[in-house]
Amino acid sequence: MASQPEPAVSPFLDPGPRTKAHSLAILQLSRDNLLPVYLQPPTGEHDGYAEGAVVNTRYGSFPHYTMLNVPWGSQIRASKVDTGSRGRKRKRDGADDTSREATAAASEKDGEGPGAVATPTQETGGGGGGGGGGAPVVKQAVADSSGFIHVLPPTPELWTTSLPHRTQVVYTPDYSYILHRIRARPGSTLIEAGAGSGSFSHAAVRAVYNGYPAAAAAAAAGGQRKGKVFSFEYHEDRYHKMKQEISDHGLDGLIQLTHRDVYNGGFLVDGKSPEADAIFLDLPAPWEALPHLSRRRPPPSLWPSGAPPPGLDDPARAWVSPLHPRKTVHLCTFSPCIEQVTRTVSAMRRLGWVDIDMVEIANRRLHASRDRVGLNLVNFDRGVNNSAKDVEEAVTRLAEIEARFREHAAKARSRAAGAGAGAGAGAGGADAAGAGDVDMDSDDETAAAAAAGDGNTAPRPAAEEEEETAAAKTDGLPPWMEGRLITRGEPEIKTHTSYLVFAALPMEWTEEDEARAAAKYPVGQEQKVIGTIDKAIRKQERREQLQKQQPGSKKARRKERDEKLGEVLG
Amino acid sequence: MHSIIRPNAWVALKLPSGNTKVLQVTPNTTISLGKYGSFPTNLILGRPYHVTFELQDKRPDESFSRLHIVPADELYAEVFAEEEAADCVAPAASGSGNGHDTVISAAGGDEYSLVDDKGNVVARSDRAVLDESARQRLTQDEIEELKREGNNAGKDVIAKLLLSHTALDQKTSFSLAKYKLLKTKKYIRRFQVLPLDVATFAQWQLDERDASKILDMRAEMIGLVGCWANVHFGGHDVFLPDPNASPGQGAQACPPVDEKLLRGRWLVVDDTCGLLVAAMAERMGVLHEQGSEEGEGEESKAPSQQLPVVTKAETQAPTPAAAAAAAAAATTTTTTSTAQKDGDTEMTDAAGEPAPQPSDAQPKAKKPRPSDFMIPYSQTNTITVLHSSSQPNLSFLNYWGFDIASPNHPPHPLLNHLLTLSWLQLLQPELDSSYATPPPTASPETLASWKPSRRGNFHRKRRRFARTRYVVDSTRAGGFSGLVCASTMDPISILRHTLPLLAGGAPVAIYSPTIEPLAALADCFSVPRRTAWVGGGAPEIEGLSNEELERWPGNERFPLNPTLLQGVSIQTSRARRWQVLPGRTHPLMTERGGAEGFVFTAWRAKPAEGKVAAKGKFKRRKVEPAAGKPQDATPGVETPASG
Ligand SMILES: C[S@@+](CC[C@H](N)C(=O)[O-])C[C@H]1O[C@@H](n2cnc3c(N)ncnc32)[C@H](O)[C@@H]1O
Repeated sequence: MASQPEPAVSPFLDPGPRTKAHSLAILQLSRDNLLPVYLQPPTGEHDGYAEGAVVNTRYGSFPHYTMLNVPWGSQIRASKVDTGSRGRKRKRDGADDTSREATAAASEKDGEGPGAVATPTQETGGGGGGGGGGAPVVKQAVADSSGFIHVLPPTPELWTTSLPHRTQVVYTPDYSYILHRIRARPGSTLIEAGAGSGSFSHAAVRAVYNGYPAAAAAAAAGGQRKGKVFSFEYHEDRYHKMKQEISDHGLDGLIQLTHRDVYNGGFLVDGKSPEADAIFLDLPAPWEALPHLSRRRPPPSLWPSGAPPPGLDDPARAWVSPLHPRKTVHLCTFSPCIEQVTRTVSAMRRLGWVDIDMVEIANRRLHASRDRVGLNLVNFDRGVNNSAKDVEEAVTRLAEIEARFREHAAKARSRAAGAGAGAGAGAGGADAAGAGDVDMDSDDETAAAAAAGDGNTAPRPAAEEEEETAAAKTDGLPPWMEGRLITRGEPEIKTHTSYLVFAALPMEWTEEDEARAAAKYPVGQEQKVIGTIDKAIRKQERREQLQKQQPGSKKARRKERDEKLGEVLG
Repeated sequence: MHSIIRPNAWVALKLPSGNTKVLQVTPNTTISLGKYGSFPTNLILGRPYHVTFELQDKRPDESFSRLHIVPADELYAEVFAEEEAADCVAPAASGSGNGHDTVISAAGGDEYSLVDDKGNVVARSDRAVLDESARQRLTQDEIEELKREGNNAGKDVIAKLLLSHTALDQKTSFSLAKYKLLKTKKYIRRFQVLPLDVATFAQWQLDERDASKILDMRAEMIGLVGCWANVHFGGHDVFLPDPNASPGQGAQACPPVDEKLLRGRWLVVDDTCGLLVAAMAERMGVLHEQGSEEGEGEESKAPSQQLPVVTKAETQAPTPAAAAAAAAAATTTTTTSTAQKDGDTEMTDAAGEPAPQPSDAQPKAKKPRPSDFMIPYSQTNTITVLHSSSQPNLSFLNYWGFDIASPNHPPHPLLNHLLTLSWLQLLQPELDSSYATPPPTASPETLASWKPSRRGNFHRKRRRFARTRYVVDSTRAGGFSGLVCASTMDPISILRHTLPLLAGGAPVAIYSPTIEPLAALADCFSVPRRTAWVGGGAPEIEGLSNEELERWPGNERFPLNPTLLQGVSIQTSRARRWQVLPGRTHPLMTERGGAEGFVFTAWRAKPAEGKVAAKGKFKRRKVEPAAGKPQDATPGVETPASG
């Protein structure tokens, strides 16, 4: 496995047009059911199975080679794979193997039954390593009718929802906002702690990426800095897993992971400054890490314990700051509790951070669907509400029932009358009188309606339904276009992830710096004034703004109102 | 990225009022902050961003205010005092305004000034100082009076205190009638300079300018769209070789599109005047000019020459010519502020290959002039803008020194990475004259006999032809890495024509200020509609090839081919802002309203060949046992209701 070639450029950064062997792909089973897989070539070597690895899902079995060298986004049909005795002899290999091959845990080939277990267990990183099929299917697998999946190129968004969770992770709504605010851009150097499950790391590396460092050395003359993420994690197991992922994803050289407790150890790497200009702290106690992120040695009182951690307490040793000396540094901390925020903000102020800003991101997903209400709607899909869609429909319906009832009653009466006429008046006459009476019970009504035979009442015979389907197909809207288009939220929403505290640390400005700048930009030759909030200009601006607003707001609203009035009156 | 304020940069001044002022910092001018005062622009040039400057009182011998950088400790003095008070005071007392030590209770940051009848400030002091002197100078009764009456009363006492700080009270008889006491915000003369990047610009546009121009696009949405469309640096520049076509050669000498070279390209529909393009360019590393990104440390060591004096009248709005000229002036020593005047005639270009450039001060070694058919665009890391008018509206790019309309642009990274074409050029290029009109040709002898202006015109036409041809052909070749929209046009119609251009697996991210257009779009991909499409419910598609299905023109029942997108989703995000202060931490009481903002996301799918037939068979077979639930019949189609 170690001999497997590393992809030149991470599939996260340039996946190329087609899927590749040994490279990460994200299988999309359904919108929110994603499965990361390292596609294996059909070498026949994999676990001794000639057909190589197979992904088993509830939608069927998918031999890796059916997903190889296809355009990204391809719909892949399930294959008939003879599982034979496979499935029982599941074996758990080392972390190396399981992380490389995230096939789903055992499943059956008749996974098409919706009840079949084989939901891929993403959390374990594909715990069951028994991805090989049983009987060697050397030739083309037969397409199975059980279903299909899509194979997507990895992106941080897909990875975030499919990665093996080892910790809480930062999701797209938060990291997209954070990276925008901390100005993580191509060429930035970003410090991150702790790495956790690597969700944020993947988004961060995409943001700062502007080429691999090897190429940078060649272009060193150009002097453009290559973006890089310096990541820190003190949990040993997480550190190793993450390290493996970084290389599996072709991100070596772009993410540098260090096994470190940053509260005590700080952020230097090999004693050198990463020269960061963007920082993200997802740690339980950011204030413990903050003093390390200073431009100058902080006074002892600013360390949480009242003294610098061991190793940093020697005043004779020069202070090396992990920050870029000539750039403003943008920082974000991520904490679930308000108490953490209070302490963090207080520490930030003492350490000279400015523009401190705290926000919380609320993200909602919305689902568009058709609200299908109506007496005549066909139950094409679930969720049809066969009640009146409006007052008119209700009244029409009621009037119809009424009419039919009357018709029925009249028939009954005339029948009775006929019978009476034929066989002499008697009991029949009394019946008819009763029916015509006010005191009419529900049985009669149902009977009347049933007699009317329009099939519009709630329980309808199947035959009639079919008839209507045909009717709707020919002269009505197709069922997927019926009803009002609506949007509604998910059944459960995340109301709180964490509090985001942003801050900036300007570069240091010494007397010498000031003297140099003052010499370079001497004052006294001012020609004109800019930026005046001069009365005339302000008036002009206001006039322009008013003109712009009017059609959009007042005028338009007035017009709308007039039109409505017209409709009502007319 | 930006750390030093460079001459002629566009910056945002954050004023004490909380307002932002955006301007270009031209050397040798004076920046007026209106009622807060004014100062020479040169005093902030070469200084760092984000520090807090304070306007100082004018020195007696100077006509302007000097600036002082306020240390962070001073910025937070009030909070620190509160924190310390809270530390020694029992928690029960926290939050109440009448703390023990505080004599003069004033809102944080207040400052008192005493102004004489001519409007001169005779004394100014903040709370801390007054508190101190109150304790020294006032009688217990006076202090009690101050405490009792709070903010507005006790003015006389405060004035007396203030006066005691001047030499005046000894000489003049104490006559308060002569003076006016003003309570001002202490930080009233403080401001910050922020680099005008996309985040700062968008916030300013949203809060203080015209939010509708950027379709109410908040920072949350800019972040979401950029991430979901996977917009990032798309690879190092690759250029097509110069075909070195002679002037006698026509269209056939234009370099053909090589699809294998095209990578990292994003397709954009932008009705935010270029904000969206700017946001993408920033993510791709092609918005900010190289110079402003690196080497700030060295900046101060750069030879300090006499700065060009810009005498041209400048307006508040960024005028491209001025910006360009300024940028040019900043990079070379010669000021060629008239170079841009010629607009479309390109007289400066007329010189052609052999003629020496008039600017003798060009420091760079002269490269041979590329031939007319040389394609200036990189094959990678590009943004292709589709626009509905004949010219794209990307006017906001002027804030980053890029003017889409300038024919003879000074160096800018967007020049090689931004391609624009109209919908007509995309869909019916044969109707577009700049695409369809063949380039002029001439023999070298004829060419040499022409006047320079005519020659210039000739070259310009050929260049424009080659570029248009390349932009249109390469766009129509498809294979885009993603689609990003923030448009007032119907997204369904946009997707109808752009879906075929996307590479398999490419993400789509569409922003809309309102949800309705996105809901209608998502409805085109609803489960019932897909089911009908793949399950034989669409007689109109029978017999169509995959290729034809990819370019499905749409009808009422199926506005789009519903199998071309996967993972359709709509979301919205909102940042709720909090105040964090000792004992007073809570969400802000009000925030910006207006359009909420939504993002539609999905991925481009490549439906399997022959899908329709297989699907139909499959469904029919399947339906009986599974009781006809469409969800079961179409695994892989998202089933939100059950998910
Ligand atoms: C919530 S997780 C971070 C998740 C991560 N941001 C992501 O998106 O996947 C916090 C991580 O910080 C690590 N951590 C906690 N204290 C640390 C310290 N002092 N130094 C380094 N890492 C630490 C923990 O081990 C844990 O993995």
